Amino acid sequence: MNSPSLLSSLNPSTEPDALDSIERAEIDASTRIPVLLFFASAIFWLLVGSSLGLVSAWKMTNPALLDSFSWLTFGRLRPAHLNAVIYGWATPAAIGVGLWLTARLCRIPLLHSKLLISAAIIWNLGILLGICGILIGDGRSIEWLEFPAYSTPILFIAYAFIGIWTIIMFRFRKPGHIYVSQWYLFAAFLWFPWLYATANILLVWQPVQGPAQGAINWWYAHNVLGLWFTPIGLAAAYYFIPKVIGRPIHSYYLSILGFWSLALFYSWNGMHHLIGGPFPAWMVSASVVASMMMFIPVITTAINHHMTMRGHFESLQWSPTLRFIVFGAVSYTVVSLQGSSMAIPALNTITHFTDYTIGHAHLGLYAFFTMILFGSMYYIVPRLVGWEWPSATLIRWHFWLSAVGILLMVGALTLGGLLQGLALYDVASTFRSSLEFANPFRVLRGISGFILLAGQLVFAFLFVQMLLKLGAPKKGPALFTKPAEQTNDTVAI
Amino acid sequence: MTAGAILLILGFFFLGGSALFAIYWAAKTGQFSNVSEGAATIFDEDEPVGTPTDRFPAKKSQ
Repeated sequence: MNSPSLLSSLNPSTEPDALDSIERAEIDASTRIPVLLFFASAIFWLLVGSSLGLVSAWKMTNPALLDSFSWLTFGRLRPAHLNAVIYGWATPAAIGVGLWLTARLCRIPLLHSKLLISAAIIWNLGILLGICGILIGDGRSIEWLEFPAYSTPILFIAYAFIGIWTIIMFRFRKPGHIYVSQWYLFAAFLWFPWLYATANILLVWQPVQGPAQGAINWWYAHNVLGLWFTPIGLAAAYYFIPKVIGRPIHSYYLSILGFWSLALFYSWNGMHHLIGGPFPAWMVSASVVASMMMFIPVITTAINHHMTMRGHFESLQWSPTLRFIVFGAVSYTVVSLQGSSMAIPALNTITHFTDYTIGHAHLGLYAFFTMILFGSMYYIVPRLVGWEWPSATLIRWHFWLSAVGILLMVGALTLGGLLQGLALYDVASTFRSSLEFANPFRVLRGISGFILLAGQLVFAFLFVQMLLKLGAPKKGPALFTKPAEQTNDTVAI
Repeated sequence: MTAGAILLILGFFFLGGSALFAIYWAAKTGQFSNVSEGAATIFDEDEPVGTPTDRFPAKKSQ
């Protein structure tokens, strides 16, 4: 098939239905290089970001740790951790999953892979420059936007390529129904550049004054979760759960309702981070109300995924993809309901400025989003390299290390944060005592960091083996032929 | 009113309008009708409904 040039794709007069009909395997193959490039760089930054986070975590209990190097001080390591995992790991991995899903759902081969390969390279240069910039002390004190001003335009250019590509793919898609995942993907791919550009213009290039900075900062930070990571995660869940078990989504109507209500309510939520701050009461109240309205998309999604899985829960034993994705989907429900509850001022008074919030953030980004990304990669990578995952045992190790690690981390931070918050709230108690309450839980959090990092190393090892096609050839999902070929070892958990 | 504020307000109308247009377009092109067919679009003759498509790799090479 001849792929059109970029200029002809951008030309409004090009006929959109000029592409031939094509097999699913060919569509998968067409996404190979850009998707693998995004995945490989994402996994690299995941290991870097987690190591940075691990050192930051241990500095909370041992402040003198590695303090002789200025670039390893907490004030630089912690933002470097956050930015490495958000922009280095979660975003490129989400882009990789999004590219693959978009090509499949548009039912056409991936167009303009050179545009995407350039985007991947430019994006990673921007990340490298940004992380080094933070470590040498050029970071900005705007949470979630710590990258120095010289790296953000590079990231924006890379992202603009992907935004343009999304529109081209949508335009040239095969006629027919737009599956719900595609709504989520298309919206997310266009929302993110809008968010990123708006926040950078209003906070960096032409900074607004005073408290308005805080409002824009949290509008941005919350929307990265709600309008970028969440839709990509849900797009993957809405595709992989029905696809893996071979059963259409329980209520397609509910899934559409979930999408539009998420689009309507989520962008209002950011101000609930500023309860008690110097803002007009209506701004914060509107955000608290919108946070409550989030129950609609969250409950519809939860019911839908649960009803689709009902009667198929034994499939968690045999499908690595489903195991990770269902863990992520359940965590999505939990983290969203927790987030709404944290917007209630009475609870927020206790949890604000404590480890409880850190626990919530990791529940969202790791237990929900990262687990969905791992699950998606287990499905996608074999279909790109034409090779089977080399070891079921290692996949199980990866799953259990991730699951136990993140549950320990979130549990420790949640409980420690509550005790810390209650101690902070108690006028009879000193500030020091609130830290003493939190300390043992912070040690547990540090231990959980080692467990998570171990899981990631297992996954990175598997991924490298896949890229190099190491190990004996096997039959399985990639070259999957008949579902009846279940062997004894698949029963083991 | 500054030029920035005018741009901002125009931006609101543009973004809000594009969301309304998206809903209008989706309704007009039938995206909200035939929802049961919509749910089945990810299946085809190769991978029909009822066929699981993922499994742990087998322990021994075959």
